[in-house]
Amino acid sequence: MNRRLAQPAATLARGLLTTVTTLACLLLVTFALTSLSPIDPALRALGDRASESSYAEMRHRMGLDAPWPQRFVHYAGNLLRGDLGVSESTGQPVAADLRHVFPATLELATLAMLVSTVLGVALGLVSAWRPRGLIDGVVRIVSLLGSSLPAFWLGLIVLYFFYARLHWAGGPGRLDDAYEYTLDLDSGFVLLDTWRSGVPGAFANAWAHLGLPVLVLAAYAIGQVTRMTRAALLGEASKEYVTLARAKGAGSLRILLHHLLPNTRGLIITVLALTYASLLEGAVLVETVFAWPGIGRYLTNALFAADTAAIVGATLVIGCSFVVINGLTDALVRTLDPRLR
Amino acid sequence: MILLLGLLVVVDCARAASPPGVLVIVQSLDDLVSLDPAEGFELSSIQTFTNVYQRLVQPDPEHPANLQGILAAGWQTDAGGRSLTFELRPDARFASGNPLRPEDVIFSLSRAVKLNRAPVFILNELGWNAGNVDGHLFKVDAHHVRITWGAAVGPALALNILTAPVASVLDERDVRAHAVGEDVGNAWLRAHSAGSGPFRIRRYVAHEALVLDANATAPGGGPRLQTIVVKNVADAATRRLLVAVGDADIARDLGPDQIAALGSNPDVRTLAFPSAKIDYLMFNSANVGNSALRNPALWEAARWLIDYDGIASQLLRGEYFVHQAFLADGFPGALEATPYHLDVAKARAILAAAGIQPGLRIALDVYNQPPYGEIAQSLQASFAQAGISLEIVPEPGGELYSKIRERSEQAAWLYWVPDYYDANSTASAFAQNREDGTKTLAWRAGWHIPAMTAATAAAATEVDMAARREDYLAIQREVQQNSPFVIAFQARNEVVVRKSVQGYREGLDGDMVYYDRISK
Repeated sequence: MNRRLAQPAATLARGLLTTVTTLACLLLVTFALTSLSPIDPALRALGDRASESSYAEMRHRMGLDAPWPQRFVHYAGNLLRGDLGVSESTGQPVAADLRHVFPATLELATLAMLVSTVLGVALGLVSAWRPRGLIDGVVRIVSLLGSSLPAFWLGLIVLYFFYARLHWAGGPGRLDDAYEYTLDLDSGFVLLDTWRSGVPGAFANAWAHLGLPVLVLAAYAIGQVTRMTRAALLGEASKEYVTLARAKGAGSLRILLHHLLPNTRGLIITVLALTYASLLEGAVLVETVFAWPGIGRYLTNALFAADTAAIVGATLVIGCSFVVINGLTDALVRTLDPRLR
Repeated sequence: MILLLGLLVVVDCARAASPPGVLVIVQSLDDLVSLDPAEGFELSSIQTFTNVYQRLVQPDPEHPANLQGILAAGWQTDAGGRSLTFELRPDARFASGNPLRPEDVIFSLSRAVKLNRAPVFILNELGWNAGNVDGHLFKVDAHHVRITWGAAVGPALALNILTAPVASVLDERDVRAHAVGEDVGNAWLRAHSAGSGPFRIRRYVAHEALVLDANATAPGGGPRLQTIVVKNVADAATRRLLVAVGDADIARDLGPDQIAALGSNPDVRTLAFPSAKIDYLMFNSANVGNSALRNPALWEAARWLIDYDGIASQLLRGEYFVHQAFLADGFPGALEATPYHLDVAKARAILAAAGIQPGLRIALDVYNQPPYGEIAQSLQASFAQAGISLEIVPEPGGELYSKIRERSEQAAWLYWVPDYYDANSTASAFAQNREDGTKTLAWRAGWHIPAMTAATAAAATEVDMAARREDYLAIQREVQQNSPFVIAFQARNEVVVRKSVQGYREGLDGDMVYYDRISK
């Protein structure tokens, strides 16, 4: 094989092997931990008054009368055939549940990430431009508040003011009731579905409902991105080439935008990717306060029910998201940073 | 949070935004697993069954001690008191348009027993099991069905068992049309309906919403509203905002803080309905690791170590009232006496006389949900005054159920809701330990009571209603005064509704929530 082709192929093969191994380990650990949980899934499904025969039948139906390694092999076999099983806490196939809840979280997290990328990087730049100045102080306080205020508290506050008092925003849920049960949300992405529906007002209504949860979720991410961007830029500012540029008469803004920012973009992209991945895990509290049917709430409900199929299915989706985001980030950083090529 | 609560007290939202003709209810639907009456056993499920399905007989919503024929035009007890013959309403039709037939009744009851899911134990009380149930259900003619049973159960109790949601009547032809393999329609019924009730399920999205449409042809009359939307809003503070603003018409499961804060809002009102849910402390005398647990002196002292009034009036303002017998107020034969109150000196004297020294440690298992943590902390404080150290172990329901079923806990704070409107549902749990593998509450507490077990069984077959009430009063007195159960409170359901909403009704039992008379 041509050497120029062989190297990328080997890299790709290594990447695939790492991905498959990572996901397999993730599955095994999640399955084992769920199986070791003190919650009896059969009792959780039946309640505490079920007869012995119902209990025994339920344990058999759930496969709980077999040791967990055997159940894992059975589960993995089904998984290879594309069957994620049936959730005991919703009564529906896990794949169908995930097709419904993951797009809801993906849409929310992506919009929050866009907002936090623009604002977070901008605030980080402003902060690093005049470190320890008035603006830097204000930005640091704001970013600290953003990342430390409890999401459920902030969520309730903004709901109270912007929904209940001022009526500027839609309330909890993805749409008003007038649209929610008349439109088919086929793709699971409410903006896309309302746009395609052509129903007057539906698309605007979807935006009205997205605004507040996006802002609350973004508030946390903005804090993270701002602080990390500022730290990266200031860390880079102490290097000799910056001193040289300054000695040659470059202004602080020029140094910031033409020297520091390009040299820290790899780090900033990595921070953005990690923040995005953490948002995709599902912001349970934001989803709870805003009655948003995302993967975070789905996974939390499944955990309390010891619903193995749902837990492992949701974990697999989140794990895949991490792997994809990490892979794309690596590729992007390699492309942008000549030192890594 | 304090700032938030302070702000929300003055909430001033007059906008009513729920669509006209549609009633929006916000509550938690996270407990709902299945909408198949043979399988669903959670509160959200059984409350839906009451509005979507009908049974042969059901309690009158206003006077639950009176049974009403719903799909039955009448019934008669056959000689020997071990069978009932029902005449079906000749005009009754399912929401699908199919007429009601004896075959539908037989199919529904037989199917529930053979599926053998959570609520089947209620029908098992009639002595039915998968092997014999078909031999107990007979079509007499096109409008009559006869039901027999082999267990020692009187006809009054049998009728009450048939009022349970698991005895809902399904449209056999509709269900069979949606069956897959051997599931007799179970997968389809988890999210669809095949009943004759005032509503039918239009759409159900797990953990999100349940949408019901009116069934105008329901036997007994269609509902007043065209559509009911029950939305899953897991957070109580969000539910409160929704009803305050008017985007929801009814908010359920609000805590005392939320209810109190809405008190000044002129657009909403709070309705309070007594519930048959009772809360109790159980000592597990089968636990060999702590011998004090089987000492009746500890049980007796514990009755004087609960701050009943403090918990009911201050901690849980309005959500509970003091009730110290296992039959809830409102049930025929309920014992209303509340002889116990917080008296630490008396409890100390009882413990000292029995030789139980200060320093006794007891692990107390509780649900990790409000208000159980707060109740446990109150118990911890009052028991400490008598030298008993309670170690609170909060845990999710599934974990707590496992422990109690294995009898590995020491003590637990639990609640009980009757499965159907009859004293036997509760009495057979608290006052019967057949020692035959049936895991009643008395068995779980390790309480050996052959005489009381026999008395409870006899009460179940008693035909004379006055004598039956006396039987249950005597059993309750014994459990109240000398058992490992300390029954303390009865719940009260508080529901916040918009001023425009009329006709919302709830009854004592968990399934008794009625949407058909609501207007707005």
